[in-house]
Amino acid sequence: MNAHTARPARSIRTVLLAGTIMALLGVLGTAAWLSFEGSAEEAQELFDARLATSARVLEAFLARQVERSTLSSPIVITLPGQIESAGHDEPGPLGHYYETKIAFQVWDSDGNLLVRSASAPAQKFAPLAAGFSEQRFEQQPWRVFSLRSGQVWIQVAERDDVRSELSEKLAFAAVVPLIAGTVVLLVLLALLIGYGLAPLAKLAQQIEARQPGAETPIRLARTPAEIAPVLDALNGLLRRVRDALERERRFTADAAHELRTPLAALKVHAQNVARAATPAERQVSLERMLTGLDRTVRLTEQMLAYSRAAASSEPAQTKVPLRTLVAEAVEQLQSHIRERALRVDIASEPANELAEVSGDRQKLGSLVGNLLDNAVRYAPERSTIEVALRRTGDEVSLSVADEGRGIPPELRERVFESYYRMPGSAGSGSGLGLAIVKETAQTHGASVEISDARAGRGTRVVVRFRSELAPRTLY
Amino acid sequence: MRILLVEDDDLLAAGIRDTLERALYAVEWVDDGAHALAALQANSFDLVILDLGLPGLDGIEVLRRVRAGGAATPVLILSARDTAPDRVLGLDAGADDYLIKPFDVDELLARVRVLQRRQRGAAINVIEHGRLTLNPAALSVTFDGRPVALQRREFMLLQRLLQSPGQVLSRAQLEEAIYGWDGGIESNTVDVHIHKLRRKLYPEVIRTVRGIGYIADPPPSRLSA
Repeated sequence: MNAHTARPARSIRTVLLAGTIMALLGVLGTAAWLSFEGSAEEAQELFDARLATSARVLEAFLARQVERSTLSSPIVITLPGQIESAGHDEPGPLGHYYETKIAFQVWDSDGNLLVRSASAPAQKFAPLAAGFSEQRFEQQPWRVFSLRSGQVWIQVAERDDVRSELSEKLAFAAVVPLIAGTVVLLVLLALLIGYGLAPLAKLAQQIEARQPGAETPIRLARTPAEIAPVLDALNGLLRRVRDALERERRFTADAAHELRTPLAALKVHAQNVARAATPAERQVSLERMLTGLDRTVRLTEQMLAYSRAAASSEPAQTKVPLRTLVAEAVEQLQSHIRERALRVDIASEPANELAEVSGDRQKLGSLVGNLLDNAVRYAPERSTIEVALRRTGDEVSLSVADEGRGIPPELRERVFESYYRMPGSAGSGSGLGLAIVKETAQTHGASVEISDARAGRGTRVVVRFRSELAPRTLY
Repeated sequence: MRILLVEDDDLLAAGIRDTLERALYAVEWVDDGAHALAALQANSFDLVILDLGLPGLDGIEVLRRVRAGGAATPVLILSARDTAPDRVLGLDAGADDYLIKPFDVDELLARVRVLQRRQRGAAINVIEHGRLTLNPAALSVTFDGRPVALQRREFMLLQRLLQSPGQVLSRAQLEEAIYGWDGGIESNTVDVHIHKLRRKLYPEVIRTVRGIGYIADPPPSRLSA
C-alpha cells in the first residue's frame, strides 16, 4: 500500500501451519520410531525363538548320530542350485533364496567341525558358549545361537538383514498411513484456516474502502466471536473520530459565521474612514474601527481558547493554585474594574487557602479569567463582585457572584452553548466565555452550576473540583 | 428619507448609522425584534434594514409579522446567513433585498437608493422635477443646470418632498424625514428650512397648504407629458 505499512509479523496462517506440521512431525516421528523399535524387537524375539528351535531340531536329528562318529572331513549339506542362484526373494518350489542367509555348524568338543550347511563357513561362527550372540563374518552381522548337546556343539546362525528387512517392513507399514493422514490433515487445515481468517480479509477490505466521513459502522456478513470485540472497538473508535470531526467542522463553520458581523463592522468603519468628509467624521469612524478591531482580536482569542478547551487531549497535570489564578485575572481586568468603580472581594475558606487543583494551568487560567470577565462585564457600576474559594473534604470550589441582572433559570443550560448570547446582552461578548468554562471544567472533572447571587438577583457561578480525583478526559 | 435599522451588534449598527447619516438619511436604531415591531407600529419609515440573527425574536419572524400586518415598507435584510436557502427564505418572507455580511458600504447605499426609487416607481435614481434635478447618490441638486449648495437638512427636506410630488406632507412627516429620535426638534425648524429652500431655488418650488403642511406640485412638463 505505502511506505509506512509496518513490516507484518509472521502471518497467523503460517504460524498455524508451521506449528501443526512441526507438532505432527514430532508426534509421528516418535510414533514411527516406537513402532519400528517395537516391531524390530518383536521380530527379533520371534526369530531368536525360531533359531533356537532350529538348533533343537538339529540336535534331535543330528547330534546323537554324529556324536561318536569320527569324520575325516565335515559333512556339508548343500542347497539346490536354483535356490543359491535365485538372487530374489520370491519363494520357489524348492525353497527360498533366503535359506542362503541361514546357516548351521555342528562341532565336537575338541573343536572339530562335524557338519555344516553350505552357507556356513569352515570356521566357528562364535566361541563355543551357550546362548545367543552377535557375530560378524563375511562383512555381515549374524545372529548366532549356540547349544551344547552332550559332547557336541550346535551353532545356528542367521544374517541380520533377513530380520531387519522384516522389522523395517512392519514399521513402514505402520508409518505410511500416518504420513498419508498427515498430508490430508495439513491440506484440510490450510483450507480451514483460510476459511476462518476470511472475515479478517473482508474487514481489511471494508476498512480500506472506507471514506473518512462515512456514517455507517463497519459490518461483516459473518463475524466470528474472536473478531467481534475488535470490530466493536473499531466501530467505537470510528464513531468518536466522526463526532470529533463533526465538532471540528461545526466549530469552523460557526467561527466563520460568527466572524462575519465583527468583520462587517470593521469594513463599514474602514470605508467610513475612507469616505469621511470632515476630520471629525474620520476621527469618529477611526475610533470605532479600533474598538471593532479590539473586539475581533478578543473574539479570535476566545475562539482559540474554546478550541483548546474542547480539544480531547489529556490535560497537563500540575498543581494549580486557584487563588493565584484569581489574582491574575483581577489584575488583567483592573482597568475595567476601575473604570466601572467595581469592588472585587476575594474570600478563602479556610483562611489563606490556595485551593489547589491539578490540571492544565493555561486552561484553568482561561476558566477563571472568563468567569471574572463575565462578572465585570455584567456587574452594574459601583457594585461588588464576590469571589470565594472553599475547601471542604476532598472538594475545592470556586464561586464568582455579581450583582448584575442575572440569568433566568430557563436559560441556565443554554448560556453554556458556544456563541449563545442572552437576549439583551448586545455588544462585545463573544458568546464563548461560559462555553470555555464548561469545556474546561469537564476536562478537569469539575461541575459548573449557575444560581442567583441573592434571591432573584445577580449571577453566581460555582465550579466544583474533586481535589482527590485525577482529572477525567472526555475520551 | 427615514430608515429603521434593526441590528443587535452595537458597533456594526454605529457604523451603518454613520454611513447612512453621512448620506443624509435619518436613521433610527433598535437592537432587537420586539423593539423593531414597536418602532414600526408607532412610526412610519421609508425603509427597514433588518438583521436576521436577533436575540429573542428572530429577524425572519419580525419580517413575517410586519408583512402580516399589511405594511409595505421596503425591507433590506442584512445577514451573516449566506446560503441560497437562507436568502430564498428571507425574500419569500417579504424582504425586498438581501445583503450578506460583510458588505460594501457603497453597495449598501446603492441598494438603499434602488429601494427608494422603486418606491417612487422610477427606474433611475436621479429625480427630475421641472427645472430641478436632485441626485441622491451624489447628494447634489442643480437648478437650471447650475449646482445649488444646500444644507444637510434642506437637502433631506427637498428630497422627501420631491419623492412624493403632488402629495401634501404634514409638518410631522417632514420632521421625521430629517431627524433621528435623538435629534432635538425645534418647533419651527421645518418652516425655517422651507424658507431657505425657496430662497435658494424659487418660491413656487414648495407650496404651503395652510393648516396641513407642504407640497411640491408636479412640474408642468410632467402634467403635459
